[in-house]
Amino acid sequence: MATDPAAVGQEFYAGLRRYYSAAEIVELGSFIGFNLGFHTFFGTLKFYPMFAPDGRLVNQQESARIYGDAPASLVGAGRG
Amino acid sequence: MPCIEPLAPGEIRDPELRALIERCERLGVPDSLFPRILARVPDYAKALLRAMLISHTEGNVDHKLKEIIRIQLARRAADPYFAGLRSARAMADGLDEAAIAAGCDDYERSPRFSEAEKWALRYADQMYLDPASVDAAFYAGMKQHYSEAQIMELGAFIALHYGMQVFMRTLGNGAPPAEKN
Repeated sequence: MATDPAAVGQEFYAGLRRYYSAAEIVELGSFIGFNLGFHTFFGTLKFYPMFAPDGRLVNQQESARIYGDAPASLVGAGRG
Repeated sequence: MPCIEPLAPGEIRDPELRALIERCERLGVPDSLFPRILARVPDYAKALLRAMLISHTEGNVDHKLKEIIRIQLARRAADPYFAGLRSARAMADGLDEAAIAAGCDDYERSPRFSEAEKWALRYADQMYLDPASVDAAFYAGMKQHYSEAQIMELGAFIALHYGMQVFMRTLGNGAPPAEKN
């Protein structure tokens, strides 16, 4: 859905239905759509987690240093 | 037919959800098809439809401008369903197809839009085409025309509607109510 929505068609949904009910597919699809829309928006706002991995409250500059300016790469994701 | 069949109206018994679907039908965005697909997960449907309606019709950014943005995004998402819908309220308030076409085309050079409106159209346009360009300098430019609350209103509206449009596009509904170009 995020990288190639044209590939998610009738055949894809037929495959999903072998494992998920219609309600579960709607649950997944709307959850993915929501996250797809919002994470891109959030990414433009440049904010970072409030806490370091050790639980310390950190300011945004330190958090940016800890977590990095960009998320880990997804290169290779989804390739079987 | 969509890849996930919508529930028949009679199968939706939750009164809160039925009332939200009626609100959607009155506005025209979405019509009852998408809500009846979402209705397979009633709690999700209620939360998402309420958020879609609030973000589109309430707040301090002009509803007609949001309607142009919503259609621009639906075309970007290649979703004929949402691209074909029109807000009855926006159209009653004077929005027309020429303005929609201009907002989805070369709005930067269109005399139809104010600088503030162009920033909003650019915000939606760039958010998914080139999110890296929506940076601190971009937000500084937006803040010359919009309050931070209005920018959040626009950003959340764009994110939610685009996300639902991409989902709907994959359902391949294929029942475009004759997209008006």
